[in-house]
Amino acid sequence: MRSFRAVFLTVVVAVALVVVAVLFHMRRPSVETAQPTAARVRATGKCASCHEEETSAMVAEYEKSRHAERGVTCLDCHAPAPGQDSLAHRGFTIATHLTAKNCASCHADEYRQFLRSRHAAPAFAAIHGAAPFTDEEVAFAERFHPGAVKRPPNALAALEGDTAIQSGCESCHSIGRPNADGSIGSCTDCHTRHAASVAIARGPRTCGQCHMGPDHSQIEIYEESRHGILFRAQQSSMNLSADPADLTTADMPVPTCATCHMSGLDNLDVTHDVTERLSWWLFAPVSEKRPSYERGQAAMQSLCDRCHTDAHTKAFYAKAEKVVAATNARISAASALMDSLHAEGVLTPAPFDEPIEFQYFDMWHYYGRTAKHGAFMGGADFVQWHGNYELLHTMTELRTEARELRREHAASAGR
Amino acid sequence: MSAAGRGDSAAVGSGSGSGTEAADGPPGFPLLVEAFAAANLGFLVLDTWLAHETNRFARTAEWTPVIFAAAGAAALAVNLLRAWLGRRRGARFQEGAGRPIGLAVGWGGILVGATGLVLHLTSRFFEALTLRSLVYSAPFVAPLAFTGLGFLVLLPRMVDVRSETWSRWVLFLALGGFAGNFVLSLTDHAQNGFFQPVEWIPVASAAIAVGYLTALFAAPHGPGFRRAGWWVLGLQALVGAVGFVLHALPALREAGEPLLYRVVYGPPKFAPLLFADLAVLGGLGLAALGRRAPAGGRPARAAPGASGGRAEASPGVPGSAARGEVSPG
Repeated sequence: MRSFRAVFLTVVVAVALVVVAVLFHMRRPSVETAQPTAARVRATGKCASCHEEETSAMVAEYEKSRHAERGVTCLDCHAPAPGQDSLAHRGFTIATHLTAKNCASCHADEYRQFLRSRHAAPAFAAIHGAAPFTDEEVAFAERFHPGAVKRPPNALAALEGDTAIQSGCESCHSIGRPNADGSIGSCTDCHTRHAASVAIARGPRTCGQCHMGPDHSQIEIYEESRHGILFRAQQSSMNLSADPADLTTADMPVPTCATCHMSGLDNLDVTHDVTERLSWWLFAPVSEKRPSYERGQAAMQSLCDRCHTDAHTKAFYAKAEKVVAATNARISAASALMDSLHAEGVLTPAPFDEPIEFQYFDMWHYYGRTAKHGAFMGGADFVQWHGNYELLHTMTELRTEARELRREHAASAGR
Repeated sequence: MSAAGRGDSAAVGSGSGSGTEAADGPPGFPLLVEAFAAANLGFLVLDTWLAHETNRFARTAEWTPVIFAAAGAAALAVNLLRAWLGRRRGARFQEGAGRPIGLAVGWGGILVGATGLVLHLTSRFFEALTLRSLVYSAPFVAPLAFTGLGFLVLLPRMVDVRSETWSRWVLFLALGGFAGNFVLSLTDHAQNGFFQPVEWIPVASAAIAVGYLTALFAAPHGPGFRRAGWWVLGLQALVGAVGFVLHALPALREAGEPLLYRVVYGPPKFAPLLFADLAVLGGLGLAALGRRAPAGGRPARAAPGASGGRAEASPGVPGSAARGEVSPG
């Protein structure tokens, strides 16, 4: 009995300490502790303890992300997926390169939709042709985009060389690169890496990082359009972070590129196949209807109808299609002229070795596309001054140049 | 500090009453505790190197504890050797040259430990002040090992090593060590979210040690309770040994990476050994206390230097009867 007080105190102190420890553990947010492996629990804080010092912006971006909110740890994305090379990194095993495969481990539907889109293999094949892809990948892409992957490398890019390709073309076209792990593409091109943001992907400037300039001037057209003006005025009151499954016109009463081409506005189906709602091959020299013309146009028009009357939508489409037809006629005329010059031997068969070939290329690649895109996106100035005016101007130049070339060719033949 | 506190043999051995205490006191224990401190400092060279290597010594200051531990361990070892070689001439490790060496190492350890604590917390915790930042800060309690060892080295130079107070201070420092171990095992295993239930064992074990040693100071007790201390300390040693195996096994099993990588990263290999280490320190304190005073914290006889042999409360040592304690200089 002499030691009772000591024994009592021992037990009280020990139990109190254990209770404190358990309370300490329970106070931690479940997103930190309820992880499938011990390494993933550690990844909720251990990674940041170094990276806050070494790459602090990454941590800051991640901590603002929906991923962080929902307990997605660094390792959830950085753990090697099957087929990926791994790297021992300060007690963690991580993938040497992240690809769409890592994202697909959670976002499988989005990845499947993306694979069907022109953002996937066709984007990279537009530079390198079919060579970088497996037969299976080529066959898959050709089902949705005939001729877009089973094709030769881009002739102009080949002439410009690797430096231009790597630092120029691939910056955008690698969105559809084939990865060593068998996957295709990079989701972070649009969603960014550590912010992994829906809001950023919905921003028009995100699409505009590639869809800009004279050959595909969508961002310039959008910013000139009524949509773009309204967006700029009302952006601060819009909920760009709304869950894609629940997005309504209340969240985004004004559309961005993503709204029309991808979003499931007001219960419409959301898609990562950015080509799903398109009806024409607008990027081609002479545009044709896509095989999915009817379905694509219906899908896009049902989106338009969230804000416009159906009659307005149909009238808008009819006007735009007239621009397509007129542009086709002009490009076809130019194309026929170029074909005849080649047939007559006035031009060599080699691409881009004569100035007139650049003029023709600019005509369809810059001005033809601009006029057509302007028509479908409400960019009047792009239909007219940056489109049709330039088409007329270039066609006149082409004809003059053709006459001059024929005259020189005849003279040299006479000698 | 008095002559006795400085370990002045003439003062201790004459007139002050410590001669009677010396007959009780086990002179081998202080030497063992000093050797314990030297060995621990030596081991901290490896331990802090491994810990800071995970950070790849991102800041130059991270070399400070490694260098201090090496220099301190060497100084203490040389001093111990000096005392051992001169033992026939009555040389003691805490006297002569051993005093400034010990004071330098002791105060240096306290400074390194306290600074390390602040720097470890500053690394993350002070910025966010969240549980997560606390858990994933550099182990903020770890530098206090230097502080504890610093006090342990100062102790024989400021307190008569033949007094019961010395033994109690040794036990009190062991108590502090186990309190630190409690926090260390709690925060370290919290990094895993206590993924394996077995990770609670060291937390509970450290809590038992803290509870026992607190009661040893704060409550009267019989000889049985003091003997139970050996079981408590034995449990700590066992937990330390098992923990060491569990922490080291993954490094041995996993293939692919160089052994050094596997040792540096993953669970801290040597951290569990702190349980066994503190069990040794506690055992030394308990054994020394057992040789000097009967159970219940009552003195066997009057304290040296205490007027009328009356026990005095020892400042900072709960429940101690300060026989032979020397007021700090």
